[in-house]
Amino acid sequence: MSTAPASRLQMQELTKRYGTTTALDRVDLDVPPGSFTAVVGPSGCGKTTLLRLLSGLEPATSGALLADGRDLTRVPAGERGVAMVFQDYALYPHMDVAANISFGLRLQARRRRGAGPDRATIARRTREVAELLELGELLHRRPDQLSGGQRQRVALARAVVRRPPVLLLDEPLAALDAQLRASARAGLQRLHREIGATVVMVTHDQHEAMTMSDHLVVMKDGRVVQAARPQEVYAAPVDRFVATFVGSPPMNLRPGPGDGVLGWRAEDGRLLAPGEEAPAGHLLVEGTAELCEFTGSAQDVVCHDGTTSFTLRQQSGTRWLQAGEPVRCAVAPQRLHHFDRDGRRTG
Amino acid sequence: MRSQLTWRVLLWHLVLSATVVVLLFAVAWAVLTSLRPASAVFGLEPVAPTLEHYARVLQRWPVATLVGNTFVMAAGVALGQVVIGCLAAYALVHLAPRGRRPVLALMTVSLAIPPQALIVPQYLMATRLGWLNSEAGLIVPQLGSSALAVLVLVQHVRALPVSAAEAARLDGALPREVLWHVVLPALRPAIAAVAVLVFITTWNDYLWPLLIAPRAADTTVQIGLSQFTTAEGNDYGGLLAAATLTSLPILLVYLVASRQITEAFMQRGAR
Repeated sequence: MSTAPASRLQMQELTKRYGTTTALDRVDLDVPPGSFTAVVGPSGCGKTTLLRLLSGLEPATSGALLADGRDLTRVPAGERGVAMVFQDYALYPHMDVAANISFGLRLQARRRRGAGPDRATIARRTREVAELLELGELLHRRPDQLSGGQRQRVALARAVVRRPPVLLLDEPLAALDAQLRASARAGLQRLHREIGATVVMVTHDQHEAMTMSDHLVVMKDGRVVQAARPQEVYAAPVDRFVATFVGSPPMNLRPGPGDGVLGWRAEDGRLLAPGEEAPAGHLLVEGTAELCEFTGSAQDVVCHDGTTSFTLRQQSGTRWLQAGEPVRCAVAPQRLHHFDRDGRRTG
Repeated sequence: MRSQLTWRVLLWHLVLSATVVVLLFAVAWAVLTSLRPASAVFGLEPVAPTLEHYARVLQRWPVATLVGNTFVMAAGVALGQVVIGCLAAYALVHLAPRGRRPVLALMTVSLAIPPQALIVPQYLMATRLGWLNSEAGLIVPQLGSSALAVLVLVQHVRALPVSAAEAARLDGALPREVLWHVVLPALRPAIAAVAVLVFITTWNDYLWPLLIAPRAADTTVQIGLSQFTTAEGNDYGGLLAAATLTSLPILLVYLVASRQITEAFMQRGAR
């Protein structure tokens, strides 16, 4: 299967209003060509609306959408070169797998009389995509005879068979059970490498977003809060919201200095031995271990200090803590995140 | 718990059986009477069944013509209302969702207007169009009362997931292609149910065919049946034999489509 050209997507002040509610508020966003971009945020943050605007299923209220500099804002859904996998997969229930996959190609063939793909081409491309997604044996089954994972792969096959420069994924893993999700995740990333298209995936699961993407967009209240590589978002969240939304467990926060807020990641706290002093300049936090979650290679210890709680992540090789033990830990100054009184990052 | 369930089931079956008996009584009485000799039509005593009424009806009554006319009318109206219903339902749900509420409200209100109230202007229009004693006269004016078909089909279209239609749009399908390839295949049971219900209602219609197609050669079964009751006397044996004969096509239509009708109503019930 040959790779399709990947588009660079640019949104300029893209806005969507439903009556008086603003679902998307002047979104400026650049999606690099060929990237696997994940859009993440709490429900109602506008991420699904963003996807529907990109697909053309809904018109923008104002603003512009460009693909490689070409204005797509008023281009109808079917002509954008944008394919989409729906959360419920939206397979055509009365068509078998092969017919589901080839539907778009067959429409093209019928409409363009000769200029579109011929029967042999349609059959070949359907077979190629089916093989890529391991559906070769299932071509003559109907959707109701498929498992959840198989349906998801049919939806993917149908989306990529026309070699779209942009592939949109709306919560593509949400309908799968936990066991399937890991393999489906790997499958999606492999597919992205194979077809080379620009992928935009919407998810509410920050873990999924971080592990799969090479470009992470965090949204809240209809706006893009941060868009960068996932490593960067994790290492330098632009505000308190991103700091606590991205990463598991969420970043620990506590007041100070002044009216600002200090934050640190669970793995940046270092457990101090009894009687050991915190090095100069380090932040010292003390509390009592309340909940000790052993994850195999690490231990997440939720501690409480009377007013707030914080989490300490210990790597293997250290002494595992037990609930009820007193905990003292130090955080190096270069590991501290500073936020001002409005929650914005200051250092 | 278990015995409670059994009692419930038993009670249900009693109620249902009673209903069936009541419903079947008229039919059974008609069929049985049609088999009694003319001399004993009103009696209750057992007599040897006879086919004399059927023989007379088939000889003197234009069964084939009347059934043919009625079939053309009922099928034409059913087809027309289904086409209108599908187009309207798709348009109201997928293409102009904002217009849906007012239009559906208007249609629901229109159901409350008795067709008899409109029959005079309708008759005048149809005759001026030259549709007296014609198929067009029997069929076209009845397409104006498609509101029920539209309302039922709108419910079914709304029950379909929107995403399949949206996926088709992204696959490059035009609205008519979405309707044809995605929406209609999913609507098949509902379409069958609406078609059969409209067919049967139209088949049984009396007033409109009586007005628009009074000529014996162009009229329908129901009008033809009235020939058996005349001022000179009523031929009950003939009437019931003819009625039995002419209800066979409806029975046939129902048998062919019953699975789909049940499916359509089951689907609505399951939601």
